[in-house]
Amino acid sequence: MNVPKHTSDIFELLSKGQFICSNSGKDSVRKLYNIIDENFDDLHDYFSSINFILERGDEYFMFTREENKADLERKLEAAFKWIDILDFFKTVDHSFSAGYRFTPSDILVKLTVDVNMKNKLEGLKKYSGGKEKHAEILDKVLDQLRRDNFIELENEITNSYKTLASFHYLERLILSINIAESVKNEIPE
Amino acid sequence: MFGRGFDSRRLHLVEYQNMKKALKSLISRLFSCWPCIKIFKFAQMPGAPFVASKVFLERPTWLIFAARFMKTFSSIQQLLTTLTREQKLLSELFEKRKILSFNYDYALELVDYDADKITALIDYSVIRQNGSNLELDDLFLQFFEQVMEVNEEINVSYINEHIQNIKQSIIYYLQENNETRKYGYLRQVKQALRKIGAIALRNVVDLNRNIDNTFKNEPNYKIKKTKLEHLDEKRNTIYALINHTDHLVSGEEEQTFFKVASDEELNRIIILLKLQLNECRHNLIDIQKQIIDYLNRIKYQSGVIEKLRQIKYLKDQFELRSKTSIRELLADNKAVIFESNPVYPLNISLDQLQTDDEAKTVIEKVAKRIRTSVKVTQPLAGSISDEYLETQVQEEIQINLDEVKNSFLAGGNNLFDFICAYDFGKEVSFDDCVTIYCQMISQFDTLFKITDVYNNKQDVEFAVVYPK
Repeated sequence: MNVPKHTSDIFELLSKGQFICSNSGKDSVRKLYNIIDENFDDLHDYFSSINFILERGDEYFMFTREENKADLERKLEAAFKWIDILDFFKTVDHSFSAGYRFTPSDILVKLTVDVNMKNKLEGLKKYSGGKEKHAEILDKVLDQLRRDNFIELENEITNSYKTLASFHYLERLILSINIAESVKNEIPE
Repeated sequence: MFGRGFDSRRLHLVEYQNMKKALKSLISRLFSCWPCIKIFKFAQMPGAPFVASKVFLERPTWLIFAARFMKTFSSIQQLLTTLTREQKLLSELFEKRKILSFNYDYALELVDYDADKITALIDYSVIRQNGSNLELDDLFLQFFEQVMEVNEEINVSYINEHIQNIKQSIIYYLQENNETRKYGYLRQVKQALRKIGAIALRNVVDLNRNIDNTFKNEPNYKIKKTKLEHLDEKRNTIYALINHTDHLVSGEEEQTFFKVASDEELNRIIILLKLQLNECRHNLIDIQKQIIDYLNRIKYQSGVIEKLRQIKYLKDQFELRSKTSIRELLADNKAVIFESNPVYPLNISLDQLQTDDEAKTVIEKVAKRIRTSVKVTQPLAGSISDEYLETQVQEEIQINLDEVKNSFLAGGNNLFDFICAYDFGKEVSFDDCVTIYCQMISQFDTLFKITDVYNNKQDVEFAVVYPK
């Protein structure tokens, strides 16, 4: 089978549950994105023979499997965490989505004038491993998002982050949750 | 606000320049007794720019009545000179047109503290004074904005107006018999046609810029959406007007005029106009696409936010699992991202460990890491009792065979008798003597002469041995 020579790099990233995004700040990742884009069919066939399905999202690539390997509880836990985190960042800025740039200090400044945001950040304390200070909680949350490959540290000097295309995955996940009409009516505006 | 006893009939006209001088000297005096000064301004005094009613120089309280009225520029030259002279202030005012408060004192600084300059501008209605703030007059603001192409308003009525003008001019043209005046109307039509193209293009450019700005800069989602929808309506209007113009110039409505009046210039203008209108049309189609795209994005974003809000609510109520499809959804989701990070515990290749140069450094590194940093505490032994420290001497006398040999070799006695008679320093039994005898022979046989003669002693038969 004719696969590009970067296949091992692609596998290395994707098999860890990471994304390969078109808007990544790293040249190497963008290059991998283009390689997958050009050789999608070949790579898809190649990876399917080792039980990984290469999936194309909105400007990102990811792996899924044919069989379920993670248990439901674990998935629910992860999804709940993402809902909380996503809710917080959408409160920070409604347009928080792929391509959005921000610095933690911007968010911390907003916290001082927005009680709602502050409450939501304090709600994220449970994911921060017992940190108490706002800046530390935020750092922890950002670190988790960074490890899950949804954001990327774009500039170390100014400490500015960029939201990656993989953020679309989270939004798609949220949108695909069905709420029954009758339940919707119970939710206050 | 007028002083008591004020009588307009007593006002007398003073030349502007003279008045200026008088005012300057006054102002310097006014400052010396500021609290008792009242300066009155009033408008609607025809004639001179400043009219002083009466200056009571001898009285402690001075009353100055200065009248101002709106002036118009008498020539373009005057207008341009005025604008050029105060360009610093005007450009600053223009830059800060969106800031609501532009302080008078700051403006004074920009005109080198010459308040007259500001007053003159106010008189000519270039700027307006609002309390202690200054702002550019709407007329000039609009003019600057349009010329600099930064206007946010898109005015589609211009095109409509020009279309009406053209229609009217056409009617006049057809009804007019005088050739010269007829030509005048034709010129008007041509002018209007020329303008329509330019205005339409400008409108399209403005529209495009405004849409972009609205999408990128408007923070409020609802306003952003409404604004974009309004801009879309404007786009529709422009499109309709372009079609209308196109319809008009293609000579379907006013067949007679375009047949009769058609000359080369008009044809050229119409062709150019059609080209411009076509360009506008293409641009408008693109703008429409962009608006749809932007509106979709907003819809998507607000959709995500709304959904997220509902889900977060249910989650906080602990009802997310029971009231939504999240369980089923995640049960079907086989994304690798939900899995814990895989580790591949592969065994190390022994071949590589033995042959690879790097392996050694790696091993050393690992070994270093494995070396525990915890200090092993040496268990302390109990004190040694004095008993053990006492020296106990036990003497044992060892027989030095070498010494015995040397003594033997120096004498002439046979070995066995020599041993039995030798003083070993301790009691030696007969059996020991036999043992020593045997040891001596086995060790030093080369130095001895072993004869064939045998002697007997205490039932032990032994060979007689002499030194060589």
